[in-house]
Amino acid sequence: MVVFALLVINKAGGLIYNREFHSGLSKLSGNDYLILAGTFHGVHAISRSLCPSALRPSATNVSQPRQGATGIEVLESENFRMQCYQTVTGTKFLLFTEPQQPNVDVILKRIYELYADFVMKNPFHTVEMPIRSEKFDRGLEGYIRVNR
Amino acid sequence: MVVYSFYIFDRHTECIYSRRWTPRPSSDSKSNRPLSGSSTFSNGETTVSRRKELSKEDDAKLIFGTVFSLRNMVKRLGGDDDNFLSYRTNEYKLHYYETPTRLKFVMITDTRMNNMRIALHQIWVNLYVEYVVKNPLSPVEHPGGVGVANELFEFGLERFMATVLPP
Repeated sequence: MVVFALLVINKAGGLIYNREFHSGLSKLSGNDYLILAGTFHGVHAISRSLCPSALRPSATNVSQPRQGATGIEVLESENFRMQCYQTVTGTKFLLFTEPQQPNVDVILKRIYELYADFVMKNPFHTVEMPIRSEKFDRGLEGYIRVNR
Repeated sequence: MVVYSFYIFDRHTECIYSRRWTPRPSSDSKSNRPLSGSSTFSNGETTVSRRKELSKEDDAKLIFGTVFSLRNMVKRLGGDDDNFLSYRTNEYKLHYYETPTRLKFVMITDTRMNNMRIALHQIWVNLYVEYVVKNPLSPVEHPGGVGVANELFEFGLERFMATVLPP
């Protein structure tokens, strides 16, 4: 199992966590990652309102994303596969893995649990701000390395 | 397996061809298989219900913006030799193929469809090149889609989609 990187994007499209586990993706500067997170946030919103007309209830206004429409869940390219998990509060977890990686949703769920345990329960953490939590770092490290 | 729509964008970011298929009504027989987007749009009822939605052009612009951003994102992350293939939401799947001349082929299908990259490549090689590029009457560039939607291309696409998606 090869997990390349994890990004966490807050509900406003800002990058709040960025971690590389395995080289394989191009090296990007911190600024590039911020741009990438912002771009993805926008595209994710557009992909929610794009919908084949066959599925669309005819009377609804399309500029409002319909209930139940998730944005991009999986993005595939030749060199990697990106899975996005959006929480109910709008935080997005992006996990970059190799293209044939199975069970990415399980990994993402586990990462979300770690986030809930070590970030959200940390009284010193400000929501929507960059995540600085050593326990979260270590938890991730342990989980990703053990499962390799 | 259902194909919802198909778009071609040229290197000037313009949509030069678009086609929508309505999904097959499950109760209908095979002969009633919806074929061309134009025939559904000429049907009075469907036109009325679709007027309130985004126009076809707006949809195409949104799709172009999405694939353009994702393509750049993929190139930046995966390196220059990487190619954006597809993305999936819970409702649909978008397949993408870009030719070396920066022509972009986009197909939107339901989520169960496997990768359509090969099919899009075949549409380019067997239909677009044959009937549009090699057509002596067709202009080199296709502003507003001039010369793309000719009879042979449309018919070929129709036939090709029927073989890709056996009824």
